[in-house]
Amino acid sequence: MQRNQGCQQLDHRVARRQFLAGAAGGALAFSLSGSPAVAEQVNGQHKRILQVYLQGGVSQLESWDPKPGTEFGGPFRAIPTSVPGMHISELLPYTAQRMHHLSIVRSINLKTNDHTQGRLFMEKGRRAGEYPYVGSVASRYLAPAKAELPGYIHISTRGLNDSTAAFLGARHAQLKFLGVNPPKNLSLPKGLPPTAAERRMALRQQFNSQFQAGHGKAMTETFDASFQQAEKLMSRKTFFEKPPADKDLERYGKHDFGRNCLLARTLLENNATCVKVTHHGYDSHAENFNFHLEQLGEFDKTFSMLLDDLHERGMLESTLVMIYSEFGRTPKINVRYGRDHWGTAWSIALGGCGIQPGAIIGKTNEKGTAVAEREVDAGHLFHTYLQALGIDSTRDHEIAGRSVPIGDPAAQPIKELLA
Amino acid sequence: MSVNNSEAVAASKPVLNDAVEARKPGVDYDAIDPVKTHKVAELKHTVPLTSCRVDPTGRFIVAGAEDLDIHVWDYESKTKRTLKGHTSWVRSFDFSADGNTLYSACWGGDIKAWNLLDTEPKSKLTIQAHQGSARWVRLSPDQTKLATCGNDLLVKLWDLENGKLLQSFAGHERHVYAVEFHPDGKHLVSQDLMGVIHVWDLHSGKKSRSIDASVMTGYDKKFAADMGGARDLQFSPDGSELATAGITNVVNSFAGVQDPIIMLFDWKTGQEKAKLKPDKTFQGIAWGVRYHPDGFLIGAGADRSGKGELWFRKPDESEFYHTMKLPAAARGLDLLNDARHLIVAHSHGAVHIYRMTEEEKQKQV
Repeated sequence: MQRNQGCQQLDHRVARRQFLAGAAGGALAFSLSGSPAVAEQVNGQHKRILQVYLQGGVSQLESWDPKPGTEFGGPFRAIPTSVPGMHISELLPYTAQRMHHLSIVRSINLKTNDHTQGRLFMEKGRRAGEYPYVGSVASRYLAPAKAELPGYIHISTRGLNDSTAAFLGARHAQLKFLGVNPPKNLSLPKGLPPTAAERRMALRQQFNSQFQAGHGKAMTETFDASFQQAEKLMSRKTFFEKPPADKDLERYGKHDFGRNCLLARTLLENNATCVKVTHHGYDSHAENFNFHLEQLGEFDKTFSMLLDDLHERGMLESTLVMIYSEFGRTPKINVRYGRDHWGTAWSIALGGCGIQPGAIIGKTNEKGTAVAEREVDAGHLFHTYLQALGIDSTRDHEIAGRSVPIGDPAAQPIKELLA
Repeated sequence: MSVNNSEAVAASKPVLNDAVEARKPGVDYDAIDPVKTHKVAELKHTVPLTSCRVDPTGRFIVAGAEDLDIHVWDYESKTKRTLKGHTSWVRSFDFSADGNTLYSACWGGDIKAWNLLDTEPKSKLTIQAHQGSARWVRLSPDQTKLATCGNDLLVKLWDLENGKLLQSFAGHERHVYAVEFHPDGKHLVSQDLMGVIHVWDLHSGKKSRSIDASVMTGYDKKFAADMGGARDLQFSPDGSELATAGITNVVNSFAGVQDPIIMLFDWKTGQEKAKLKPDKTFQGIAWGVRYHPDGFLIGAGADRSGKGELWFRKPDESEFYHTMKLPAAARGLDLLNDARHLIVAHSHGAVHIYRMTEEEKQKQV
């Protein structure tokens, strides 16, 4: 388990204000059953996010905006979807049958082709500056006051550490799981009875209180947040101990991404607020087509099964689903059969909570080299995510008397995408 | 081995109409010497090429490209025709023995047959062969069957007369990249992404054995993906050896950082006979391999920089003895029936014709 401190001077002075239109607490329901019966328990609970991050930059031409038969179209064909008139790449046959749950934004121009800049812009809705990721914002404003899981969990198979919480405080920072492996030291040390552990915790809090009296709360809050999240996870270690059911593995796939998505389902069923699953391997500067065959072949069925399960459990209406990258890939095919970084005209897919399903927003030109209609950037998307979740992104974070706009005031939500 | 010198001469001067040959006395301009290989003609297309083939009689050169068409040049006149009908890129070709019929396989999963004697050939047979890409097509030695393979993990055998499926071979666990008939006509070999080569007995319809080419694949830990597969596959004319071209030593496959390799296997034992690699400064993919009738082996590849190379190996040697630099990545290789000319499909959109003899210098009148 890797813990991102994400701690700034202002971290610990954020006043909690209820300016959320749709945030709600709700009763907690813990279940590992994985059955649709969970649906009743989670219905009416707080809103959440499922982020599926296709790391490296998935090709829009091999996914959401195919251009077969054009100069840069590549070898793959477009297939019809469950939405009349909407076509996506043939590499996504399972997803195609579920597009009535999703919408596509085909007109993103980030004006950057850099991995880090693209990733930060897509997560923060700002090109620069210390601002929280959308997952941390969700944790801050959507997580129940007594949430039994960390507010922002990221399941990945390798580590990119980002400062995700900015001034929102350490407890809203991303907690990273390296796949489905249990975080280290999740169990109490051998020979330490639970009562002794409780006494130890009480002693630590006593020391904290004394330290705070002389040094302020900020110095200890990060440590407190870590301990609290560790405690929450210790009480939920069965998440990691219980192997997935064979029938689930059959549906999701036995690969890392399949197992990671099954863990994501369990976390969402148990009221995690934002769960991000990263699927690696899209930075295809060489062999773009063979790699997209492999990677999207893995993504397509697994993601579709997860979408089905959220839908069947009645969770989709309260879960914003984001399938995104840091940018797309160049229309031009290089000499290695690769496509390079391309933030100029690319796509993402969104669905679930607050999103109008079956829509196509924007358009690229015939060759996919530029946005032709309804250009948006990550600032617009950021507003859209939050407003879909019922968070008024035009309001401010209130930080010790200072107001910081939640979304970039220069951008607006994509209103036609909001349900 | 017949030598069609008139065609070769025609190919050597497609643009210099006023040139005369400058022949040195005592030089045999038909003697085959790979070290003397030189370009004699260029057949241009407008987009990068993906593959090429020449028919067994040396009349037609065909190429696939990063478009949906098949590009056919008449070798003698250099005139070009375009065959339309595929819905995706064409990656693999084969010809009937008389050279009149072309078979093509596309990423969309279709196999098509074309009569090249027609002025404007239309597809005379279409087989929806595979779910996902049809990566390879080969005609049986007896000219009655087609073998194909694809991303549905299957190898299939088709009746050429009616396009009906004769046999389907399951056993590969990853995408199947190439398939080839053994010259005995009784066996098929197929190689997949992971370097698994299966040998299929056409009589029993079952796998008879496997050959380990796992060195030709690599798992990129950073990107969590496999890369590998046969990019070309060919038996030696006597059937005693199998050559396969591809990659090895994957370092960063997403940036094209891996080594090209051509592996040779003894057909009888399945044992590895050679692992041929170009100079270590050349990183990329081996896209072509051919056995020359004189016994030497020819390879072609693409460096990650976009340059290409031709490699030549004498029988039983463990290294290439000659390398020829090419101006652009080589994505396909074939040998003309005159045994003196090679064709290479290049990433810059042209087929180059190379001649493996002393160059006949040209001078202006």
